[in-house]
Amino acid sequence: MAEMQVKESGGGGGKKRAKKMSTRVDLTPMVDLGFLLITFFMLTTTLAKPQIMALVMPEKDIKKEDIEPVKESKVLTLLLGDNDKVYWYEGITDAKLDSTDYSAEGLRKVLLNKMDKVKGQWGLEDYTKKNKEGVEEELKGSFMNVIIKPMKESRYKNVVDALDEMSISKVRYYVILDVSKLEEDFVKNPAAGLKFNVDDQVEAATK
Amino acid sequence: MPKHKPKRSHPTIDMTAMCDVAFLLLTFFMLTAKMKPQDTVVVDTPSSISETKLPDAGTLTIMVDKDGRTFFDMAGSHTRQSLINDFNTRFSMGLTQEETVKFANSGSFGVPRSQIKKWLAMPNAERDKISTGIPIDTADVNKSELADWIHNARLAQFRMKNEGKVKEDYVMVVKADKDTPYPAIQKVINTLVDINVNKFNLITNSEGDPNKKPEGGK
Repeated sequence: MAEMQVKESGGGGGKKRAKKMSTRVDLTPMVDLGFLLITFFMLTTTLAKPQIMALVMPEKDIKKEDIEPVKESKVLTLLLGDNDKVYWYEGITDAKLDSTDYSAEGLRKVLLNKMDKVKGQWGLEDYTKKNKEGVEEELKGSFMNVIIKPMKESRYKNVVDALDEMSISKVRYYVILDVSKLEEDFVKNPAAGLKFNVDDQVEAATK
Repeated sequence: MPKHKPKRSHPTIDMTAMCDVAFLLLTFFMLTAKMKPQDTVVVDTPSSISETKLPDAGTLTIMVDKDGRTFFDMAGSHTRQSLINDFNTRFSMGLTQEETVKFANSGSFGVPRSQIKKWLAMPNAERDKISTGIPIDTADVNKSELADWIHNARLAQFRMKNEGKVKEDYVMVVKADKDTPYPAIQKVINTLVDINVNKFNLITNSEGDPNKKPEGGK
């Protein structure tokens, strides 16, 4: 505590001295206030900054010759539905529709299982990745292709959650595409199966 | 013998130096804190594990609220001024000099171009009522006002960069509410892709990364 000297020794007779008033002011409350305001400004400036998540969309005009076919067994399609449900199927031939949720036990498990499956079937592949110094490194990895198709019942949070799962599970290739009529019917009636025609898809994407 | 009184020690600390430091820091934080024009709409963003921070300057933001209304915001009063002057003459918006300055210094807006004059005249609290969102035409990109705003904002920023008034190109940012229905987002994304902005950022809150061990700190 800072000094608080107000009382001088009481008048005990003798010579009358001019009372010396202390010029000291207790600065403690002022310092308290100062630090309180500092804390406020620090928190509002640095903590209020939100995070961003980069997203790259495929280009609008794709040429037919630029299309590179992907092995069907490596593809996992997620259909984001209503009430925070994810429908998913593997490949396109005899696809079976299954559904899960966005929890750690749900979608993440599906992704990791598929990743293991792809690794078991196709082994590791070489790929290059730029490291922090910008030098290309030769690495080995196993890749699957995830297609995220948000249906019109889904909400924005679902899309961000799905993208987030991609970075948590380190999925290298994923894309957001519009859901097709065939898939909407597939979700409504899974028993009927999915009748995808690859040529029609290519035609639709390049028109 | 006089009674021996134990001398009471009075530890005194001089607070002056501490006070000086406190106020120096306070001044610093107050001056660096940027006053941001109030957003016209509340947007509750979803969370993600991304750790990239939003850049300080040069953001071009499209906001989508939970009703699917689209708002547009661009940083930098120089660029805003240049853009609104351009639009004012091109579309005969009938804005006065003062109104364009007012536009340059305000924040996000979500009204059709024809309503800008009315919007500027309104007090902040009432603006929400006429904010119907910026019209998007998904069928014809040339008729879409949102595409127009984005495209011309980027051009204006480019002009300002050439004149040396700003340093950076715009970073495209989409800020949407977590409960926004996807079709509203899809319209915005399709508009961006249509004008060849294939790379953009989604604003999120931070969330712990489950891959990281807790002792490693978040």
